[in-house]
Amino acid sequence: MSAERIYRLLLRAYPPDFRAEYEREMVLLFRDQCRESDVRTIGFWAAVIWDIARSAPALRAEAWWTPGRENTRTIGGIMKLAAMLAVLVGVFGILNAMVEWGAALTGTTGGMHALALVLGVFASALLLGAGAAILRPTQRGRQAARLALLASLVMSVAARLLHPWMSIFSQLVGIGLPVAFLIALYLPRRASPAGA
Amino acid sequence: MVTKRRAGRPPEAYLPLPPATFHILLALADGELHGYAIMKSVTARSEGSVRLGPGTLYGSLKRLLAARLVEEGGERADPERGDERRRYYRLTQLGLSVVRAEARRLDAMVRAARRKKLIGVRPA
Repeated sequence: MSAERIYRLLLRAYPPDFRAEYEREMVLLFRDQCRESDVRTIGFWAAVIWDIARSAPALRAEAWWTPGRENTRTIGGIMKLAAMLAVLVGVFGILNAMVEWGAALTGTTGGMHALALVLGVFASALLLGAGAAILRPTQRGRQAARLALLASLVMSVAARLLHPWMSIFSQLVGIGLPVAFLIALYLPRRASPAGA
Repeated sequence: MVTKRRAGRPPEAYLPLPPATFHILLALADGELHGYAIMKSVTARSEGSVRLGPGTLYGSLKRLLAARLVEEGGERADPERGDERRRYYRLTQLGLSVVRAEARRLDAMVRAARRKKLIGVRPA
């Protein structure tokens, strides 16, 4: 395998946008370096790898945080998967609360426990709605998802306060999932510190 | 790393520059250069202490272009090398002001070090 072919393979460490813009120039520069150095030495390849290791991660990070670039496809894919998960968790949450409600009807249920169950059903329904809204890639869909997540979070916290015996799993799903979604919905819209 | 600033910011807002960025801007103060010529100029001026690889060079140029400190000057073959067409880069007026401001900043630091006799005197 020629040195240039190896270098072209190593260039895959850079983000696609950067490669599209500068790959030709970088290969030309590499050819110049090859003419003036002994490509069979370890020192030459150590310098090449050091240069890539030093520059590629920063450019990848910049590409990730730059809106409108290839990262939006990745974020979009992750968000779609997470939204589907939210829909499933929402359905599961509603079913779980209803089963618990049915079980509670046979025994002695305090008013607070009943209220916590009702809040749990609403929180799960809102989570389901938020997941469905995220799957609609529109500004209104995102706005609706944010409101639904916030309301779901408030209801889950209220249910936890009313019913302190809520399982760790329910707390993680009811509180952790909306928080994670809210962060994910806000972060990609921040001004990018990269690009310059 | 040079971060993107809003238009109209003073050159001092870009300081301090990373060493690689300063060397690139210094090389371009001589006029339009392509990537390899920038790399050679930096290596020669720093007496080999700073060696820019293609990734570091073009990563820095990408940021400098985005910050409008550098602009592209078109593509043409290097008359000395006579090979493939290469992309040339040149300083913008803002880039020139920034490299001057950085040079003044470094000069002030060197003068302060000299006043304290940290440099410019032979060790006993």
